[in-house]
Amino acid sequence: MKPLLEINDVSIHFGMRGGLFQAGPTLRAVDNVSLSMNKGETLAIVGESGSGKSTLGYAVAGLRPPTKGSIQINPARPHSSGRDPVQIIFQDPFSALDPRMTVETIVAEPLRLAGVDLSNRRMRVTEVLEQVGMPADAAHRYPHQFSGGQRQRLAIARALIGDPELIVADEPLSALDVSIQSRILNLMGDIREKLGISYFFISHDFGVVRHLADRVAVLYLGRIMEVADADDIFATPSHPYTQALLAAVPRIGRGRRLRGSALKGEIPTPLNPPSGCVFHTRCPRATAICSTERPELLPAPGRSGQLSACHHKD
Amino acid sequence: MLRYVLSRLSQAVLVIFVMSFLLFVLIGLMPGDPIENMFEGNPSLTPELIGQMRELYGLDQPITLRYWHWLMAALQGDFGYSSLYSRPVLTVLGPALLQTGKLLALTLMISVPSAIILGALAARKPNGLVDSAIGLFSFAAISMPNFWVSLLLIILFSVNLGWLPASGLPMTSDASFWLELRHLILPVMVLVMFHVGPLIRYVRAAMIETLSADFVRTARAKGLSEGTVIARHAVRNALIPMITVLALSFGHLFSGALVIETIFGMLGMGKTIYDAVGNIDFNLALVGLLLATVVVLISNLLADLAYAYLDPRITL
Amino acid sequence: MTPTNQMTQAVPTLTLSHLPPVQSIWQLRFEKFRSHRLAMFSLGFLILLIVICLMAWPFSALLGIDPNKTNLLYRFQPPSAEHWLGTDDLGRDVLVRLMFGGQVSIAVGLVATLLMAIVGVAIGVTAGFVGGRIDAVLMRVTDCMLALPLVPLLIVLGSIDLTKIGISQASATSPLFVFLRIVIIIALVDWTTMARIARAGAIQIRDRDYVRAASVSGANGRYNVIVHVLPNISTPLIVASTLTVGRVILLESTLSFLGFGIVPPTPTWGNMLTNAQQLIISAPHLAVYPGLLIFLTVMAVNFVGDGARFAFDPRSESGKSH
Ligand SMILES: Nc1ncnc2c1ncn2[C@@H]1O[C@H](COP(=O)(O)OP(=O)(O)OP(=O)(O)O)[C@@H](O)[C@H]1O
Ligand code: SF4
Ligand SMILES: [Mg+2]
Repeated sequence: MKPLLEINDVSIHFGMRGGLFQAGPTLRAVDNVSLSMNKGETLAIVGESGSGKSTLGYAVAGLRPPTKGSIQINPARPHSSGRDPVQIIFQDPFSALDPRMTVETIVAEPLRLAGVDLSNRRMRVTEVLEQVGMPADAAHRYPHQFSGGQRQRLAIARALIGDPELIVADEPLSALDVSIQSRILNLMGDIREKLGISYFFISHDFGVVRHLADRVAVLYLGRIMEVADADDIFATPSHPYTQALLAAVPRIGRGRRLRGSALKGEIPTPLNPPSGCVFHTRCPRATAICSTERPELLPAPGRSGQLSACHHKD
Repeated sequence: MLRYVLSRLSQAVLVIFVMSFLLFVLIGLMPGDPIENMFEGNPSLTPELIGQMRELYGLDQPITLRYWHWLMAALQGDFGYSSLYSRPVLTVLGPALLQTGKLLALTLMISVPSAIILGALAARKPNGLVDSAIGLFSFAAISMPNFWVSLLLIILFSVNLGWLPASGLPMTSDASFWLELRHLILPVMVLVMFHVGPLIRYVRAAMIETLSADFVRTARAKGLSEGTVIARHAVRNALIPMITVLALSFGHLFSGALVIETIFGMLGMGKTIYDAVGNIDFNLALVGLLLATVVVLISNLLADLAYAYLDPRITL
Repeated sequence: MTPTNQMTQAVPTLTLSHLPPVQSIWQLRFEKFRSHRLAMFSLGFLILLIVICLMAWPFSALLGIDPNKTNLLYRFQPPSAEHWLGTDDLGRDVLVRLMFGGQVSIAVGLVATLLMAIVGVAIGVTAGFVGGRIDAVLMRVTDCMLALPLVPLLIVLGSIDLTKIGISQASATSPLFVFLRIVIIIALVDWTTMARIARAGAIQIRDRDYVRAASVSGANGRYNVIVHVLPNISTPLIVASTLTVGRVILLESTLSFLGFGIVPPTPTWGNMLTNAQQLIISAPHLAVYPGLLIFLTVMAVNFVGDGARFAFDPRSESGKSH
């Protein structure tokens, strides 16, 4: 069986504004990334701010064509009208819902765009609202009457209404209160179980990732540092960058955000990434070869399923 | 800094060229024909002669070519003759510019300080009684047709009370400074009314914002009196951006000047343009408008540079 | 957060009974607008004014007054039962001319604003949504327009000989054309304000997540503009339009006063003042009414705009803060 999602050697570059006569520099937000996801699987993308997680997620959702490479989605179910294989949910629940629309219009939008008639739309809206734990009479209210967590539920309802197989979730919890976070996380877990949906789950938070992910890909400056099953990554991280990230997570209690992590130094600008291994400017294990040769993504010693891009991997 | 100045300057030059072409086309669309206007009422002018003249002046050529000739001549300082005054247009426009300059300078000398004072007063207690009164005044000033205000003031001060002259200029050319000033009182009053409304609103908004800024709170915490805080700290910071607002109001002010000069019979730029258009004096209208545009653009440019120079947050 | 095993716990269903009744953003705003007393009063005044101006037809028919018929025997009549505000220098009824003039002035204000809103929004939203070169050009143009002296430009535009651009003499002087001409030239020099506002709004909305979500479901640019962008930028556009109506009425009256706008015999508040200057000594009252009406109308329009700004201010919008 084909994987649900195949990302083949994808690069996404942004042309920056230059002067009047010269072209601007190129920003490599995503660089030679290959990943695949099976049906029902949840793949977590982790990395510091600016590592290209959202850009990759947007490309998967079809919002941004890759500069190079290809992204393929192979839906298991036949495509029919009113069914979108990929949907997306965002971080900021306030920007996610059009303030001028009623909840019903917002949630039904994917169906409306697919040309489904009104009575069928209404029926589905009631269904998905129930699935996300919102009462049916929410349908005629406006977004400003709901809290952040409730809005995120509504955003999830909109993503569900097209009966997707893959949902790109771009840090769906990080804007919410901690107590709300666990509820939404549980909701997402439930939905996955009931509907067999896969998540392309972008996150800062290893606690959340551990809870939800089957596989984890670690991104740094647009490149994959390490990709492996979640259990392996947490038990035996192979890449120095992964190790540094995990070291920053307190073992007990809440997972810490990566933003203020224990990594020393600033993340370099993707406009001018370091040569060789992009991590060498901050890597405790860096040697001469690291600044000249780009390490390939290869299995870690003795673990064929755990790929790591490092000359000195564990 | 030099780079910034040069880029702004080249932009302004480009705009002036584009404007000159557009105005050239527009002015060409005014009614009448320059040749016929020039020799109006001359019976010896036969159609053949007109044709010859047209050829002589290149009026049978396409507009782009005519513009090119005009531009070449203009770049050498030849802006043509005014048919209304039978003089080179520059000799008409020079004194006019000076006249308008006087009017605008006097206006600015009054409107800017009063806007600052009124705006600051209003900002002291937003939504208080003083603020409401000043707000009402600025709303009224914005909403008043300036030509109507001129008429009312003339009726009151010149016709009924007889205190002030109804014209903006003394009859004699060697009038004393004070006499000249007396004639300017009414026009300046109207123009100040016209100019001050939006400025007050701007100063008020800027002051309210700065008064809640951190450094102002620090100054207050140091125990400085409210008056000192406003005068020393808030006003200064609120006023740097005001340079831009002032510059942008220049075009507006010029529009006001046209109306007021026309009513008070002052031969400034505005009245000259008005007369030129009314009497279909192609050259004078074209160059007058262009000159007005250039003056406004230059004042904007200077304001931008001054702003960039004064505002510490902008590094060039 | 603690990743516990709450996964199996049923999703709790919320109740919304504690929420206030369903209210759209427009209902909330209308209530706030109503609380702005000056704006409400001004709105009432404007409606009354428009109704009175529209009464010009029945009123003049009833009294048998032709607003444009001159009668030199009846010049400068004082107010009487027949001519409530007296007559002007050509013996025409002042009140009826004010009513008809008001129709023209207000119509120019509304139609020109509508035109500018359509043109400005179309251009501004395109530039903001598409970005790139179109956007850069638009910004340059609007920068320049912002600085230009409008009235001198307008009198040149107002003096243009339409026959030179291929419009027949007959249609060029027809009342409809004269009206459209002033509407168009004012729109031509003033559309940029609206375009700037629309552009700024479009840029803001373009990157909202709800627009992205719609794109994921297959929405194209046109759908996003119509369904998401336009409704969400209506607030600043409505405020700006209101203020524009006031500005246009002032510009029109100025132009007509100077003789480059709407020309007699069609009355407007502006051109009714054209002769007033010559008559300042003999009939100063003729200078009062038209100007006063312009003043009050523009002031009322500006107050309504202020009320709209207040009602739409997100900082005072209830229910939005969390
Ligand atoms: N539209 C764009 N134009 C130019 N550069 C962009 C654009 N979108 C993203 N970038 C750049 O690409 C890089 C990756 O951005 P991206 O938003 O994908 O990072 P991220 O990993 O999602 O970060 P965060 O955790 O802050 O969301 C950043 O350097 C960003 O500045
Ligand atoms: S390749 Fe070198 S610099 Fe890069 S992570 Fe491995 S050890 Fe560090
Ligand atoms: Mg992101």
